[in-house]
Amino acid sequence: MKAVLEVRGLGFRLPGDRGGGDQETGIGRQLVQDVSFSVGAGETLVLLGRSGSGKTTTLKLINRLLEPTAGHVVIAGERAAAVEPTRWRRRIGYVIQEVGLFPHFTVGENVALVPRLEGWSATRIAARVRDLLGLVGLDADTFIGRYPHQLSGGQRQRVGVARALAADPPLLLLDEPFGALDPISRVELQREFRGLEGRLGKGMVFVTHDVREGLLLGTRIGLMHGGRLVFLGTPQEFERADHPEAVAFMRAADPV
Amino acid sequence: MAPVVGRTGTRTAGRFLLALLSAGQACTKHDRIVVGAKNFTESDLLAEIAAQQIERRAHLVVDRKLHLGGTFVCHQAILAGQIDLYPEYSGTAFTAVLKHPPLADRDSVSRIVAREYGARFRLRWLAPFGFNNTFAILVRRDAATRDGLRRISDVAKVAPHWKAGFGYEFLERADGFAGLSRVYGLRFSAPPTAMDLGLTYRALADGKVDLIAGNSTDGQIAALHLVQLEDDRGYFPPYEAALVVREELLRRHPAVGVALEELRGKISDDEMRRLNALADVEHRDIRTIAREWLEKNVP
Amino acid sequence: MSLFSFYANNSREALGLIWQHLYLVALSTGAAAVVGVPLGILLTRRPAWRSPVLGLANIFQTVPSLALFGILIPILGIGFWTAVSALVVYALLPIVRNTYTGVAGVDPAVREAGRGMGMTDGELLRLVELPLAASVILAGIRVATVVSVGVATIGAAIGAGGLGVYIFRGVAVVDDTLILAGAIPAALMALAADGALGLVERRLQWRR
Repeated sequence: MKAVLEVRGLGFRLPGDRGGGDQETGIGRQLVQDVSFSVGAGETLVLLGRSGSGKTTTLKLINRLLEPTAGHVVIAGERAAAVEPTRWRRRIGYVIQEVGLFPHFTVGENVALVPRLEGWSATRIAARVRDLLGLVGLDADTFIGRYPHQLSGGQRQRVGVARALAADPPLLLLDEPFGALDPISRVELQREFRGLEGRLGKGMVFVTHDVREGLLLGTRIGLMHGGRLVFLGTPQEFERADHPEAVAFMRAADPV
Repeated sequence: MAPVVGRTGTRTAGRFLLALLSAGQACTKHDRIVVGAKNFTESDLLAEIAAQQIERRAHLVVDRKLHLGGTFVCHQAILAGQIDLYPEYSGTAFTAVLKHPPLADRDSVSRIVAREYGARFRLRWLAPFGFNNTFAILVRRDAATRDGLRRISDVAKVAPHWKAGFGYEFLERADGFAGLSRVYGLRFSAPPTAMDLGLTYRALADGKVDLIAGNSTDGQIAALHLVQLEDDRGYFPPYEAALVVREELLRRHPAVGVALEELRGKISDDEMRRLNALADVEHRDIRTIAREWLEKNVP
Repeated sequence: MSLFSFYANNSREALGLIWQHLYLVALSTGAAAVVGVPLGILLTRRPAWRSPVLGLANIFQTVPSLALFGILIPILGIGFWTAVSALVVYALLPIVRNTYTGVAGVDPAVREAGRGMGMTDGELLRLVELPLAASVILAGIRVATVVSVGVATIGAAIGAGGLGVYIFRGVAVVDDTLILAGAIPAALMALAADGALGLVERRLQWRR
């Protein structure tokens, strides 16, 4: 099976002096170094790590919100470097913690954004929006005309996911999508998301610092520490891993 | 806790206030004379000369309110006692203040003005300076040569292609634009542009307008290559310059009247033009010009 | 003479001056918006330019209006276009500053989501930033307009026409009716502009 996403030797250094770098000001600091992994269709790779470990940066290197200073990214056989960044991002779903719904667009208009930019026909867009709202557990008739400020946090993120899936991208990137939700909504959305993963058949990279969420949702876990990928394996392998960072995370998940 | 201001403190404050009040008393009209001037250079110069003359002869303190405003502003100010004297012109007093239709005879105008100012306003017309500053209808020299313009009547033929620009006072006065255009049959291409009087010279020189009403003794006429057209139909009344003074001041300080009488007939048309040029073209300080002139002409 | 009889006797002239005044304000504010809004947007894309540009506009605004007219006269001469230039200069600061603030004030999460989904800079500006900033931008235009109505009255001193003509004429001959004949319509114009633009501004507001 061909990989949806392939990342080889990915690196990112902050602009500044080359070599050496000033540790204090962070100029020239290497945020991500030599990261390699691949993600297949139907697979969810969880990027786990503490704050500053480079997991969000890695995500942004994949959809080129930041340009890699080393390594390459390939999605569905296409090399990132060969494609214009805006076009590249249209083929990748992106869900962020703050959601970032457009406050002046209705739910329907928010979800329809990328299809509209891609020039889909109005009927096709309308049908797609309804399908997606149903997929994320929102009644289309009730919600399609509502504005984001009328929704709860959980409802907003559901719309965020629907929006990311709208143009049917092969790859989905999620940056701590449930981090801003209250614990009950978070658990609810995690459970529903788990059900969705299997059905969608897409490649997903899911960033989180919550190890329990990672173990629940990931097909594989990628542990990041100090900008490097220090562990890559199944959740079961992670639970038994002896890398000190992995051990620390497991301990934090189950405090004695 | 001790009081913030002790007894000594209160006494000192009291003394200070008293001193302030008495200084204020000294500033009352009994000892201080206020000289006003209209809002153009010549008026400022005449007022400054009068002020310095009073200071050196009568040894009184004089305040100046130069460049106060137009004719009507100064007239209201002197009636209200805010100023004690200012330089005025007989024709202006005759038509604009007393609202008589324009008259060309110089002596009649002077007589009527002196009589009515005394009767109606209790203001005295002092000795005239000796020059006549009439409205000067000005055009650019090259236009005058090209279109053969020497008299104001000559303008009637070019007026439909021309733009005129005037200060606000000239537009409003009975002896201003309305009467001029009627007497000379001037129909311009558009209603005249209104602007600050001082700017009309620049507007004419820059070609923004083709005709303005300046003053015949202005220093800038020669400097800007402008030509004054002859008032061949005698529309404008004479504008003899003199000082208008409150009679009450002359009663209180007869020395002022004596001092100002010394200025009678001391300034000719040319002399006024020279003084205006010193101020407007050479940008010399008005106080200095007045002082030097007095030292030389009224020793 | 009462104000009403003055207007009745001079209706054509009064209407002409009112129209002249409106034209002065509309032309200059319009020009300032055409220059100022794109400039404000540019400042959000080039943060290094922000201090010098806003600083310069601020300096222009602190120069007293009569002084600014005086400074422009040797360069542009007197008249209508000099007044327009001065008015444009005064209108720039509120417009540029409000445009910058409005666009920069868009929720960063909204901007990140938009970029992440593959919106070009132009699409982001057109579909997201400008609609969300519209109310603030219009507030800047409103302030500029109201200020212009006032400053335009001074234009009469340099031959630009407008309602200031009545005011200056009235001052020259100490005629209160004349002064009010110019001052009252000018004040009403400012109030009307403030009210009308304020209404549109409220309609454009988006709850975040």
